[in-house]
Amino acid sequence: MAEHAWILAAVPAIAFLALAALGRRLPRQGDFLAVLAAASGFGLFFAVLASFLGRGEGAWPVLNAIEWTAIGDFRLNMGIAVDQITIVMLAVVTTVAFMVNVFSVGYMKGEPRYWWYFAVLQLFVASMLLLVLADNLLLLYVAWELVGLSSFLLIGHYWERRSAVEAAKKAFITTRVGDVGLLIGIILLWKATGTFNILDIIHAVEAGEVGGTGLFVSVMFIFLGAMGKSAQLPFHVWLPDAMEGPTPVSALIHAATMVVAGVYLVARLLPVFEAAGDALLVVTAVGLITALFSGVVAFAQTDIKKVLAYSTVSQLGFMFVALGAGVVSAGMFHLFTHAFFKALLFLGAGSVILGAHHRQEVGQLGGLWRRMPVTAAAFLVGSLALAGLFPLAGFWSKDEILHAVEGHRGALVFALISLASIMTAFYTTRLFILTFLGKPRDAEAGHARETGASMTGPLVFLAVLSVFAGFVVYGGVGEALGFPGGFGEFVYLHHPETFHIDWGLAGVSTALFVIGVFGAGWLYRGGRLDRAAALTAWQPKLYEMTRRKFYFDDLYQFLIDRVVLGFSYVVSWFDRFAVNDTGVDGSATLTGYAGFLLKHLQTGRVPNYALAIAAGVAALILVALAAGG
Amino acid sequence: MVPLENYLVLSAILFALGVYGVLSRRNAVLVLMSVELMLNAVSLNFVAFAAHLDPDRATGIVFAVFVIAVAAAEVGLALAIVIRLFRNRSSANVDEAATLRW
Repeated sequence: MAEHAWILAAVPAIAFLALAALGRRLPRQGDFLAVLAAASGFGLFFAVLASFLGRGEGAWPVLNAIEWTAIGDFRLNMGIAVDQITIVMLAVVTTVAFMVNVFSVGYMKGEPRYWWYFAVLQLFVASMLLLVLADNLLLLYVAWELVGLSSFLLIGHYWERRSAVEAAKKAFITTRVGDVGLLIGIILLWKATGTFNILDIIHAVEAGEVGGTGLFVSVMFIFLGAMGKSAQLPFHVWLPDAMEGPTPVSALIHAATMVVAGVYLVARLLPVFEAAGDALLVVTAVGLITALFSGVVAFAQTDIKKVLAYSTVSQLGFMFVALGAGVVSAGMFHLFTHAFFKALLFLGAGSVILGAHHRQEVGQLGGLWRRMPVTAAAFLVGSLALAGLFPLAGFWSKDEILHAVEGHRGALVFALISLASIMTAFYTTRLFILTFLGKPRDAEAGHARETGASMTGPLVFLAVLSVFAGFVVYGGVGEALGFPGGFGEFVYLHHPETFHIDWGLAGVSTALFVIGVFGAGWLYRGGRLDRAAALTAWQPKLYEMTRRKFYFDDLYQFLIDRVVLGFSYVVSWFDRFAVNDTGVDGSATLTGYAGFLLKHLQTGRVPNYALAIAAGVAALILVALAAGG
Repeated sequence: MVPLENYLVLSAILFALGVYGVLSRRNAVLVLMSVELMLNAVSLNFVAFAAHLDPDRATGIVFAVFVIAVAAAEVGLALAIVIRLFRNRSSANVDEAATLRW
């Protein structure tokens, strides 16, 4: 089964085709097809997992490829490679996709283009699974663009709304900047190694066939693609705007799966990054800056989804910091746990938005604890997991990251990532308090009602995962589930690492959690805003700067207005005057004018023509005589 | 036997007369007659060369017969055009038929 894991991607692909072709005419607009596809994907994953584990470690990675095309001696294969990282990604994608499809049945009820929404959702799942299964970079790039396309379509699902159109465009173009880098990087790696196959590239690099500055440059180009997709500074601007899409989409694409494609790519190519000089240092730096920056910006956001979006950007930064420390298990583990609790938080936010009649500004919410108890409880679990409460999932993965940073990156990075951890706990607590505690600040929030079972069901399921998913770090738990050991003994770069809890580090981690939670709890005690307002009034400029996201959007707008549009004005002037008026129209005018002058040679009189012919013949005879001597 | 040069000189004189007629006459019928003169000069050339250079075979003579046949067809067509021209303009002067231009 593991060698036929491509079926996982084929099932949603077929569902997409069926829904796109027939969705509108099917009963219930075909949503049962989508849920069926997602459920069978979830089921099939376990078949793949059982087969994968059954083969034993010696048979990993499981490969299956067919020849795509042959150009001369160069053969391009298309195939799948299933290894431990792929298995983790498959688990995340199939689980969250299943939950999101079920949730969407309730959430999207009665929305426009219901069938099309589900169709594109299946397209996304198929592309994402293809992305994680691909055994070569070219196929990966195809899937990479396909997930970008589905993301674009889903962000712009409500295309009647101008902001949604703008956000979709922004997401597409911003990630495209990175994608060009990725393509250049893939081509550079191909030139250096002569293959697109990921394993062959890694072997070539490990054998020392390529290296030096050339390798560093190509790796940096690839990392550019990862930064774009995973919304790292300075490409982060598209992700918060992507919240214009339907909330379940934010949960699936912009929290759990697509945005971690960059993390996945770096994890997949980590041996190459390791060999490429200071590449990992760059990864750490970018991740660290992003984690800190988005943590601060999340303080001042008032839209419940925007807070979560900046939180996602920040957590992606955490993953890059872990990968930058060269510890693939810590990065992938945080990806794994984060997918569950962040999907939970987004679906919880969706439940809040639907229950509170499309109020999503925290200033309008509050006091939903009584009215939406299931959502509130699930959201609380997700928040605590994100903030890192012992022993929820987020605690373990954050612990692993701290451990990795402490071991490989030194005290400064450790201090900064700890600071980012405090921020995580702080903004998460703030969001929870403002949404669920205190009194409703808006009439609609006061009339909020708990959402239906198709929404609370996935919330509860994901809440359970958010509590327990972290325990797979323990060897005993992993072995009980059939794995060779804990997470670190399953996903590793060079040597499996058995997990031993470091109580000192756990203490530090818990202290960070407590500082963050109590800081926010003191500031927003009981859901009251007076202390926060006083703080804002004390430093209005700082607050404004944070609220405006440190002017990144304004800066880009300025760059586009002045530099890009200015340059394009020059280009369009050149096109109009040099190319169009002088080149194209000019040659036509010249021909016309020449014809206007020459037409007077045509008299229409037969004798003139006869004379011309006779003169011509006479001239030819003279020439012939002269030449003949 | 009359030498070849005599025929060629006669043919050249006929041809030159034809060219002169085509260039100097304004009446379409006379222009056509001059064209016939030029064609006949060519036919005479064919026959003379054939008789002197290859008397056993009739290649040049057959060519001359073809030229005469083509000339007859050409005159038939051209005279029809001249008649249409005369009907339209009450004149066969080629200078006046100058509308076919820009």
